[in-house]
Amino acid sequence: MSKIRDSHSQRYRVFGTALAVIIYIGLLAPLVVTVPMAFGPANTLAFPPQDYSLDLFKIFFFTSGWRGPLFESIKIALAAMAIAMLTGVPAGYWIARHNFVGKRLVTGVIMSPFVVPTVVAALGLYLCFSYAGLSGTMISLVLGHVTVALPFVVLMIIAGVVKLDPNLEFGAELMGAGPIRMFVTVVLPQLIPSLVSSALFAFLISFDEVVISSFLAGPNTITLPVKMFGALQWEVSPVIAAVSSFLMAVSLLVCIVAIALRRGAPLEGER
Amino acid sequence: MNRSSTIGAQAIFMSPAVLLAATIMLPPLFFILYTSVHGTSLSLHEYREIASSSLFRRTLGTTLVIAVASSVLSVFLAFIVAVHLARQTARRRTILLVLVLLPLWTSILVKCFAFTIILGRDGILNGILSWLFNTKIQLPLVLNRIGLFVGLTNSLVPIAVFPILASVLAIDDSVYRAASIMGAKPARILRTITIPLSLPGILAGLFTTFVYSLGAYIVPSLLGGPRDQMLSNLVDFYNRQVLDWPRAAAISVVLLAMISVFGTPLAFWRQRKGIGGARV
Repeated sequence: MSKIRDSHSQRYRVFGTALAVIIYIGLLAPLVVTVPMAFGPANTLAFPPQDYSLDLFKIFFFTSGWRGPLFESIKIALAAMAIAMLTGVPAGYWIARHNFVGKRLVTGVIMSPFVVPTVVAALGLYLCFSYAGLSGTMISLVLGHVTVALPFVVLMIIAGVVKLDPNLEFGAELMGAGPIRMFVTVVLPQLIPSLVSSALFAFLISFDEVVISSFLAGPNTITLPVKMFGALQWEVSPVIAAVSSFLMAVSLLVCIVAIALRRGAPLEGER
Repeated sequence: MNRSSTIGAQAIFMSPAVLLAATIMLPPLFFILYTSVHGTSLSLHEYREIASSSLFRRTLGTTLVIAVASSVLSVFLAFIVAVHLARQTARRRTILLVLVLLPLWTSILVKCFAFTIILGRDGILNGILSWLFNTKIQLPLVLNRIGLFVGLTNSLVPIAVFPILASVLAIDDSVYRAASIMGAKPARILRTITIPLSLPGILAGLFTTFVYSLGAYIVPSLLGGPRDQMLSNLVDFYNRQVLDWPRAAAISVVLLAMISVFGTPLAFWRQRKGIGGARV
């Protein structure tokens, strides 16, 4: 940015870059470490592994103890994603484009999971669902995950809508399209990048969710993160390396798609 | 579009989300408050109990110390990263952003697992140290405060990078040019331009990481020792081990109150400055 090229500022810049590189390594090291271990043998947990195999992935994908929770998580994440998208996309559009009575209140409640500690939300949801007689059901987990996925969807849709040209929407309405027709034919096609990335992030949030799930899960609704959390608390088995690499691959895929679509990438993330 | 049809459309667009907010987002908070005062008896018994409980007080102290230390350190580290990212060309920045986005979006369980491998008694770090000094070294780096602090800070840095980066990128280039033409050295530019002008982002990052670390639950339970448990773990303890829901709810209310105490001044400050209105 500054055009000066004297040795002092040069050295200063090198120092800053060196610090940044150290921090990047510190951020990525824990992720990278798990990958070679995932291809290690099934009986010992050592870094680097002595020999390489796919045994851990076989255990992960083909024993019911891990495969069941994996499928449970996928089902719940798909359902939570669908609900968050169906409710969050229209709401995000309306919040971005209109002023209405109670807008601050509604937006505040929808965004509240960003500031309410997850444990507090989890306990509240647990108390609620026990009261409603839904303890341990899949519905309770899906709804619990929706509470954390919805604010992200709404935020990303608002960010996407703000960048659109409102004149196209006025034009469509002047030509006689009703609000829903206008939304479907004018707004949604332009929003596709935001829609894809917010759906992927909604899926990922639910798929990785652990605190709310561990409060709400019953014996028949153990998700992959709940299973993994339990395994980490009691005995660290080598399979966890394979599960970790798998989770990381899913995250990497979502991040790459979101960056490729750019417009929808959440530059302010919070978990 | 006339007014009545706007209201009709508004009902269609907003009601699903409002319904969710009213059924699954507000009631949990209400239930916590309600349970903590023993329902309609409105008793403050639980709050008196926790105020005199040494376990609660010790945990509160631990929570505050760890939350302040890890959020300040992570904002410091995130600032370095943000300044570095801001200096890159848009294309390189996009590539480098993956290095921050991936840790941000990777499950906290993966990171905790990795840190038990890296910091464990026979872990990678102790292995490297043993090799360097040619003796067996088994520093206790995990299941204690060090492990908790390292794990928490690591998970907070990516969260703080984005608000700070937005602020640093918003600084007008010509300000830097003017400063360097006037002969300001990089350290002075950093002190008098970059830091003050990115203060909104720094404070937003500080608040976000502080809220997140106050509510930390997974990291202390997997990387901390028995004496490093935080308020969230206490909530879980009363909920799961003791089955004392009013107590767990009262501690949750204390956590919420602490977040409002720290969050409200920042919210007002941001509103006064007119920044980040659309953000959370």
